[in-house]
Amino acid sequence: MAGPVPAIHASLAAANQARRGCPRQAPHDDNEVIAAGMLELFPSPTAGPFGRRLKRERGARIPVTVVTGFLGAGKTTLVRHFLSTPEGGGTAVIVNEFGETGIDDALLRGSSDNIALLGNGCLCCNVRSDLQVTLHRLVADRERGAVPHFERIVIETSGLADPSPILTTFATDRALGGEFHVEAVIAVIAAQGGAATIESFAEARRQIILADRIVISKSDIADEDAPAALGRMLCQLNPRADIVEAVAGKLDPQWILAERTGAFGAGFLAEAAAHTDNIASFTLVEQQPIAWDAFARAMEALIALRGPDLLRVKGFLNVTGCAGPVVVQFVQHLAHPPVELDRWPDGDRSSRVVFIARDLREAQVRGLFAAVRALAL
Amino acid sequence: MPDGPLSKSTFESVCWNFKLLAHHELGGFGGMGEGMGIQVAKDGRRIMWLAHESAPKNFTGVDVSDPRKPKLVVQTDLPESFMRSNSLELTGDIMAVAYQTQKAGQKPAGFELFDISTPEKPRSIAFVDASGPTSRGVHQLWFCDGEYVHLAAGAPDFKPTHPQDDQFYRIYDVRNPAKPSEVGRWWLPGTREGDNAPPPTRHQAPLLDRGFRAHNTNVYPQRPDRCYLGYIDAGMFVMDISDKADPKPICQWDNSPPYTGFTHTVVPMFNRNLLIVTDESTNDNATDWPKLVWILDARDEKHPVPISTCPMPPVDAYKSRGGRFGAHNIHENTPSPYAWHSEDIVIGTFFNGGLRAYDITNPYQPKEVAAFVPPAPAMSPVGSIQLNDCFVDERKIVYTVDRFSGGLYILEMDF
Repeated sequence: MAGPVPAIHASLAAANQARRGCPRQAPHDDNEVIAAGMLELFPSPTAGPFGRRLKRERGARIPVTVVTGFLGAGKTTLVRHFLSTPEGGGTAVIVNEFGETGIDDALLRGSSDNIALLGNGCLCCNVRSDLQVTLHRLVADRERGAVPHFERIVIETSGLADPSPILTTFATDRALGGEFHVEAVIAVIAAQGGAATIESFAEARRQIILADRIVISKSDIADEDAPAALGRMLCQLNPRADIVEAVAGKLDPQWILAERTGAFGAGFLAEAAAHTDNIASFTLVEQQPIAWDAFARAMEALIALRGPDLLRVKGFLNVTGCAGPVVVQFVQHLAHPPVELDRWPDGDRSSRVVFIARDLREAQVRGLFAAVRALAL
Repeated sequence: MPDGPLSKSTFESVCWNFKLLAHHELGGFGGMGEGMGIQVAKDGRRIMWLAHESAPKNFTGVDVSDPRKPKLVVQTDLPESFMRSNSLELTGDIMAVAYQTQKAGQKPAGFELFDISTPEKPRSIAFVDASGPTSRGVHQLWFCDGEYVHLAAGAPDFKPTHPQDDQFYRIYDVRNPAKPSEVGRWWLPGTREGDNAPPPTRHQAPLLDRGFRAHNTNVYPQRPDRCYLGYIDAGMFVMDISDKADPKPICQWDNSPPYTGFTHTVVPMFNRNLLIVTDESTNDNATDWPKLVWILDARDEKHPVPISTCPMPPVDAYKSRGGRFGAHNIHENTPSPYAWHSEDIVIGTFFNGGLRAYDITNPYQPKEVAAFVPPAPAMSPVGSIQLNDCFVDERKIVYTVDRFSGGLYILEMDF
């Protein structure tokens, strides 16, 4: 199991060990090994090989919504409106830049330690240091009562940010992954000029391609046909995302808060679409239950060979021996710990895994999985 | 939440991964003890029976069929103001209620059996007198098989070597509920006058010297030959009760000193080879901190080994809120068709630390997954919530009660 990508190996191998009930040769992470071996020492009649079966993917973790969008897209307006609604109460906000479009002094009351209480009871925090440090500090302050007991976190990224490193942060840092769950990546793009931004900047394209939800902003001050034209472009780039229009940053707060159901939405990124930077999406569907070993080995091989090109991989697996769907998620060479849900969301018991990847064809991945499965038998 | 003169708190309330469905102040008598049990009456109503922490009320029945709309069904009175009915348990339509007095020698003290087949009209079946010149009666009882009542009780013929050691482990056969009869008893050697053993070494007086006496006396159908016995300042015992006439200790585990005593509850997780052991915080302002929920490796029942504790919020954030802060009761996987049974989740009450749920799937690393700390209830004498006990029914509805005035809170797990 030795290799340059221990995190994927650790979580996948720990789950393998739990399932097989055999010790690992060279553990990469002691905590993972302990977690897996515990069910042998102290067997649970209700936990599965991936631990406690959860009601929802986030379990008890703090939900995090990541708001991306290019400079001037209207991210701050959107966040400010959300904070002003009753549903926005109990939200800690992290912004990673203060600029002309940042949350202004009227909303943010100054503080010497970069944490301030907003007028509506929310927190706002300026990430001058590292995101991980900030998140840990927020949780510690919440525990000791130094800040109100927030229920969710919204991260407003800088306009030029590629969301991938943020997603990677939540996958790599074991403490972050244990405490926080990225509920949704929301991309904001201005109706007027948005198409040009997408054409000109790879970061903007990446924000759209990786989003779970997309907000077309400022449609009230755009040319009449601009929102529709941009919508068609967005659909090409990311047909899985739910796309809505916002006027003056106003959105139904429930749309922002809605939990994901586990898998990405339906739809595929057409390989021939323009401006996709050779990024394509496809879904592997398997009707029969999948042996965990075969899936884990195939993913290990894929990650070892093409990890940097796996921008997001996520889905439900019907794993042999598991009662509910197993949610798997990968960001580049990193794997989130698999989570077994306590029930399927609907009658469909098929495994469904969406790949958003660069220079990787569906046939190649499908062939790899078939080969590994044949060898595993 | 109630809006009374003392309801305003400078502290944040917390409702994390629980959903509050309802709050009932129980007719203004919301100071509740540590007896909670569900009956499903013949007409289908689901009744939550609650023991009161102190007089004037004895016990209360609340219709929780719709957990969002609890309705008071019955509330009974104690005959004397010096009595408290801190504990109750029920099997089917029979409920056992413990009676303790403030001072030794006061009467009545003991336990009473009620027919609750008509919830509005509980009818006494039998009263067992446990009063005596050195007895305060019964503090706690367990009655889950319909046959035996397991008690932390004094007795008229038991003279303790120290006044605080008056309550010990007693077993009553109630198979004929009209004529309960004692079938067995056990006490810590040295706590009764005339014992061959010397009296135990007291914990530090006055704050930590709480008594070498029984508290919880849990017995489960998975092991009807075992009693899981909390014994306050003597720690906990697993008892062999295969011969109820002669209970024998199999093991003792005691964390104090250096910890601060008052071992309260022992709940076995049979499938997982674990014991969950709670302390009780008994001092205001956390002067007895830390009071914890302990996880013990019980693969060898003769040698339980502590492997972890459930993480508490920082004491500095709670010690000045008023009242107690620390562990007390947990949901006990009560052997009832109307109780939730989990060996992955521990749910407990921590006085002003509220109600907390822990995922113990990895028992070396218990993890808090939910918390509920409501604002101070109206008329609270300590100015903070003091959640005292909890119970989870088979629908996964969580019930928790305040020690002084808040009454009943009903929640849904959301994790």
